Amino acid sequence: MTNAIKAEFRKFFTTRMWWGLAIAMFVAGAGLAVLFGFLFTQPQSAADAARGIPTGTPEQIANSVYTGGLQVGYLLTLVIGIMQIGSEYRHKTITSTFLGTPKRARVMGAKVVALLGIGAIYGLISLAGSIIAGAIVLSARGFEAFPTAGVFRTLALGLLVLGLWALIGLGAGILIPNQVAALLISVGVAWIIEPIAGVLLGLWDWGHDHIVPYLPTQASAAMVNGVTQGGDNAIQPLSWWAGALVLAAYAAVLAGFGSWRTVRSDIS
Amino acid sequence: MTTTTAPPTRPTDGARIEVRNLTKRFGTFTAVDNLSFTVEPGRITGFLGPNGAGKTTTLRMLLGLVNPSSGAATIGGQDYHDITQPMSVVGSALEATNFHPGRTGRDHLRVLADTAGVGAPRVDEMLELVGIPAAARKRAGGYSMGMRQRLGLAAAMLGDPQVLILDEPANGLDPEGIRWLRGFLRHLSTQGKTILISSHMLQEVEQTVDDVVIISNGRLVKQGAMADLHGAPRALVRTTDHDALAGALRVADVTSTVEGDAIMVDTNDLRLIGDVALRAGLPIYELHRAMTDLEDVFFELTEGTNRNLGEGVTGVTGVTGVTGQGAATERDAIAGQEGGNE
Ligand SMILES: Nc1ncnc2c1ncn2[C@@H]1O[C@H](COP(=O)(O)OP(=O)(O)OP(=O)(O)O)[C@@H](O)[C@H]1O
Ligand SMILES: [Mg+2]
Repeated sequence: MTNAIKAEFRKFFTTRMWWGLAIAMFVAGAGLAVLFGFLFTQPQSAADAARGIPTGTPEQIANSVYTGGLQVGYLLTLVIGIMQIGSEYRHKTITSTFLGTPKRARVMGAKVVALLGIGAIYGLISLAGSIIAGAIVLSARGFEAFPTAGVFRTLALGLLVLGLWALIGLGAGILIPNQVAALLISVGVAWIIEPIAGVLLGLWDWGHDHIVPYLPTQASAAMVNGVTQGGDNAIQPLSWWAGALVLAAYAAVLAGFGSWRTVRSDIS
Repeated sequence: MTTTTAPPTRPTDGARIEVRNLTKRFGTFTAVDNLSFTVEPGRITGFLGPNGAGKTTTLRMLLGLVNPSSGAATIGGQDYHDITQPMSVVGSALEATNFHPGRTGRDHLRVLADTAGVGAPRVDEMLELVGIPAAARKRAGGYSMGMRQRLGLAAAMLGDPQVLILDEPANGLDPEGIRWLRGFLRHLSTQGKTILISSHMLQEVEQTVDDVVIISNGRLVKQGAMADLHGAPRALVRTTDHDALAGALRVADVTSTVEGDAIMVDTNDLRLIGDVALRAGLPIYELHRAMTDLEDVFFELTEGTNRNLGEGVTGVTGVTGVTGQGAATERDAIAGQEGGNE
């Protein structure tokens, strides 16, 4: 199993994709931290909050600044997850992978471990950007850079979010055999369809309370406990651990179902 | 060497490939039809059949990539899935084994080396062996067919396996490459390794293989030694009076038949024929061994409607004994085309 995991890491780090994505991660982390660092530290009145402008405690503000790049980040690890399996089918390297490790469940297990690791590595890259840039902006605006220990929990959970989205990608990459289609569909769902669905479901009372908080994007946001929308119609986010469980459930179902399919199918 | 639990077995026992009643259906289409054969260690076996005969499908079942509909295939008595460290027992290069275009050949091997638990020195050694150490540092996207074949072979050899299974290894190799491959495989087989190579052209592997397994439409049509394929030994002689020579040969207990402007003698003892002719006072204009043309042998064996080339619906059930005009003309057309390449 360790051999298979090592092979998965090497697969990832021997194509050009990895450093391009690493740069994107760093830039997104730093850039969005600066942006949110300015936005969330604007003086606010109660009226602003009532109009739905995001507000929060200093801890939540710090969380939001440091995880500002997270939405872009998990989109990128989603892509990584899709590519980690999709490119194997596309370029037919899956043949030599399964020749080397004929117990396919072992291969899938190695991919899961490697993707969690890769998610964490990219998370660290993203955090390096956002912490450096965010701490400077927060301090400059007269806010404490690390107001509570809770900030560190958020940073750690940010890494987990990235890893779990990579696993969601792994599942999507198997279930949608065409890699390009898998990329378009997954990114489209995560960034466009799901937010729209969230808004629409939010108009419906029961959906607003019982469905929207459980959507993957909302669960991811709950995990990092950032600023929240005020106002009457605000979504009540899950607690961080419930968010983590929900997102882990998505990852487990998608990666699990995908792996089950891979283990059974003919490779020809 | 193939198992850690079984008592040490002689290599001849450990590395035999056995295919028993193997069948693969894709929907209603039977790609491999109740196929059985064995491949012996220390010999090079050619796995032959026309395009679409089911060679690749069979090899993929043997290697655990395609699930058989029924039957079984084992290597050294084991199902491929059950081999603990498969790359050190079986090395394989399949037709469609492709490479990530953005990864260098060397990195491709290093990924496999991780799986096999061998290090970078072994990777470089294998690249040296197949003759592409420099090229392997470029991205595989730009590789020629011959380079891909060599890289595939290097990958197969990584774990120093006892069994080598190669799908169309000569495809895309230049004549020099084919000669090199032949020598390479010959060398490995003298070490007692089991070697199975597929091809859709008998002539391509004629000088390489010891044994043949020939399939057509998913079914076995012949298994045996390459030497036996040529049929009974014969010699061609040209002289002034063929009937006189035939008579003289009959006295020497050798049968013969006059065919056109030559006489075909049922022996390959050229010396005997020369002596008989000399005694009979007949001049010899031409004298050589006549082997049945392998191309003909191959077509004869695999004749029938190729289910993949039109009219396939009836062909699906296997060789239906159709040897009609259509089959013959198609056969001749291909023969003409391929003969031109020789
Ligand atoms: N996954 C699949 N689904 C449906 N049919 C398939 C599949 N794989 C192979 N076949 C069919 O099975 C038959 C045998 O294919 P196979 O690739 O084994 O032939 P082959 O002997 O390797 O031919 P070639 O010399 O062209 O490589 C072909 O008719 C092919 O179309
Ligand atoms: Mg084939």
